[in-house]
Amino acid sequence: MYPKEIEKLLLKVQKPGRYVGGELGEVIKDKRDVDVRFAFCFPDTYEIGMSHLGIKILYSLFNEKPYIWCERVFAPWIDMEAQMREHDIPLYALESGDPISDFDFIGFTLQYELSYTNVVNMLDLGGIPLLSKDRHGLEHIVVAGGPCACDPEPIADFIDIFFLGDGEEVDLEVIELYRECKREGRSRAEFLRLAANIKGVYVPSLYDISYNEDGTINAITPLDGAPEVIEKRVMMDMDESFYPDNFVVPNIEIVHDRAVEEIFRGCIRGCRFCQAGFLYRPVREKSVECISRQCHALCRNTGYDEVSLSSLSSSDYSQVVPLLKELNSWAKPENVSLSLPSLRVDGFTDDILDEIKTVRKSGLTFAPEAGSQRLRDAINKNVREDELINTCRVAFEGGYTTVKLYFMIGLPTETMDDVADIANLGRKVVDTFYSAENRPKGKSPRVTVSASSFVPKPFTPFQWEPQDSMDTLREKQRHIKESITTKKITFNYHDSDTSFLEAVFARGDRRLGKAVLEAHKRGMRFDGWSDCFSLQNWLEVFEDCGIDPTFYANRRRSFDEILPWDHLDYGIKKSFLKRECERAYNSETSPNCREKCLGCGAAKYGGGVCFEKR
Amino acid sequence: MKNVRVFFEKHGSCKYISHLDTNRVMLRAIGKSRLNIWYTEGFNRHAYITFALPLSLGFASTCESMDFRILDDDEDLSSVPERLNACLPEGIRVYRCIESVHKPADIESAEYDITLEDTSDNISAKELSDKLNAFLELPEILVDKKTKKGMKQVDLKQYILDFRMKDPEKTSFTLTLPAGATLNINPNLLINAFAEYVSAELYADITRTGVYIKGGEDFA
Ligand code: SF4
Repeated sequence: MYPKEIEKLLLKVQKPGRYVGGELGEVIKDKRDVDVRFAFCFPDTYEIGMSHLGIKILYSLFNEKPYIWCERVFAPWIDMEAQMREHDIPLYALESGDPISDFDFIGFTLQYELSYTNVVNMLDLGGIPLLSKDRHGLEHIVVAGGPCACDPEPIADFIDIFFLGDGEEVDLEVIELYRECKREGRSRAEFLRLAANIKGVYVPSLYDISYNEDGTINAITPLDGAPEVIEKRVMMDMDESFYPDNFVVPNIEIVHDRAVEEIFRGCIRGCRFCQAGFLYRPVREKSVECISRQCHALCRNTGYDEVSLSSLSSSDYSQVVPLLKELNSWAKPENVSLSLPSLRVDGFTDDILDEIKTVRKSGLTFAPEAGSQRLRDAINKNVREDELINTCRVAFEGGYTTVKLYFMIGLPTETMDDVADIANLGRKVVDTFYSAENRPKGKSPRVTVSASSFVPKPFTPFQWEPQDSMDTLREKQRHIKESITTKKITFNYHDSDTSFLEAVFARGDRRLGKAVLEAHKRGMRFDGWSDCFSLQNWLEVFEDCGIDPTFYANRRRSFDEILPWDHLDYGIKKSFLKRECERAYNSETSPNCREKCLGCGAAKYGGGVCFEKR
Repeated sequence: MKNVRVFFEKHGSCKYISHLDTNRVMLRAIGKSRLNIWYTEGFNRHAYITFALPLSLGFASTCESMDFRILDDDEDLSSVPERLNACLPEGIRVYRCIESVHKPADIESAEYDITLEDTSDNISAKELSDKLNAFLELPEILVDKKTKKGMKQVDLKQYILDFRMKDPEKTSFTLTLPAGATLNINPNLLINAFAEYVSAELYADITRTGVYIKGGEDFA
């Protein structure tokens, strides 16, 4: 229950429903009955955080344990933050309304780099000392997981423990250890040292980083017996892995307001720009039977009439047609619709089209990522133009009129001709509509071309690459705009300013912590929101902290440089990434995991796609 | 097929669910409860529900109603509240289900329990109550009201159908105002005018406690 004092503030802010909890499915316990209170913080608004699958899984998993009470915390929007600061209301958890300073664990999920200032701001709003070194006693353990934990160095000063990889087991092991330490009256330092020996746990304060004169890293040295290398955790048996049979169902509209079923983790593709495609290796699938059972339970328990099948590339699910048939056997009679995001062009067969067409007809979305075949080969995005055009033709003949195409600019090896081909591909899709025999009569096609700016990420073959300068990116955007000659194409592009900041933090090191803290002091947060983000302010922060952001974003690293995340092991060998990078330079594609194993290193986990019969 | 009306309370965190969101919450609850109700025809089929008198965001209520059609004539209506409550958030509680008697268009007025407070604590509750009494004694209370034809100045005084101070120590009172499709007066209109009159920022805790048809009979 929200604190009574906020009632007077709620009608002064937008969407007060964000701040009150009380949804169906929320878990209420008596705090006197539990040993560990866990504040699960999502460093963005309620609508975004509540749409996120990871928080739903861990929320249910933790609350299954009678001795843990896990509650939800979201970043208050700026209007609410102002009210809370004015009236001295600390950041509170939605279930109990208690301030987060009452909690043992304050856990963040790090989905995007631009939420770092929100992490710090939330600690501040909760009255928690911001820096790890200023927190004493066995309480307020600040932990974080999620994809950004693969290079967490820019916020290492603020976080006590990072979880690498899948959280389902390691989180509970750490909570269990904490419970023991509390019982035995151990110190915070002792607890952290013990935690560091659990696989998948990274305690940044136990590592010393030294630098060379040129600013690159000289050495990463573990202290106090902490392991040299921290290995990520993986759930290998997805059917046996915990999955919630109920969600907290929001009372207000959120971004993705539907049941979500994860059908597999990982991706077989190995697109060279895509971090998720490497971080979550190897591919591990759930069985058709398991997916159907879990989806059905979720719909029954939540009342949702829409299920989204979640994965990095839905059509790569090895049993996709049997799965859709099985799901439709109960979904149709119960008026439940299925949605299948992240479909790939080459997997989009008539069969699949038939199965999903019966349910919902929305626009088609494709992500060719690059305009020319040459560049698509270089980034290993194995989408062929004829396949894409063919799929569009099938779809147009099936009654579709809108197609969205997603591209990236600033990819390694990209030329201006590659950039112009983005517009050309859009035009070819328009032409396909007019040449389709059974196209919807009297309608015209709407093709949206979106271009985002490429951000090089750790654990990808492009981790050594410079990001294009902002000027170059703007020039490329202009070039696409000028190359589009038809009104049937709408061109959207993302602001290159935020991509620049993202690139700084994605491959940042510990020295950036100073800038994050300074930015927080200057009131910066919600950097992912154009209403709040200001590159100018960030450039001033970097300048005042003596940091050159281009060192992180726009510098080419040599293959033998020590990278800030070299002590973190996601199962991917550096030699493999290097090989893939060199193939990119030669515009050579690589086969996917089902066609041929490339020996990336993830087979050491002993399961998944690596051991499928080929 | 039966035309059915359920009555429910809305309070606590559910005060902050807008009318549109309430609609969504109810649709989901009906789906989950598996009540056999009438769906609209056509491609985008959905359960058909309507609300007689939408409630403003931030108001609690003891007397909301929602209408739908039950397909099975033999359905036991007395079990409906329990079935729906199992599928609704705590802050929405259904307490009665009947075959509807009146038409939503019959609604003429609504009653509210209101407690006022000066957010900056400059005016005591007692003082505020005195000022409210004086304010309501004014010959006219002119406010700007949004209508379909744009802003219009209206005299609220004529619309106050009933006013009773319940507890002057807390500035708690009961107010009855016109409500319904033809003329609807939101109590916030009066409260805002009063806030201006006392030059203070007021916090109003508002609960709708009755919905009436002609002659003050309960809407049923
Ligand atoms: S080891 Fe081979 S099959 Fe397994 S994830 Fe790596 S490349 Fe794919």
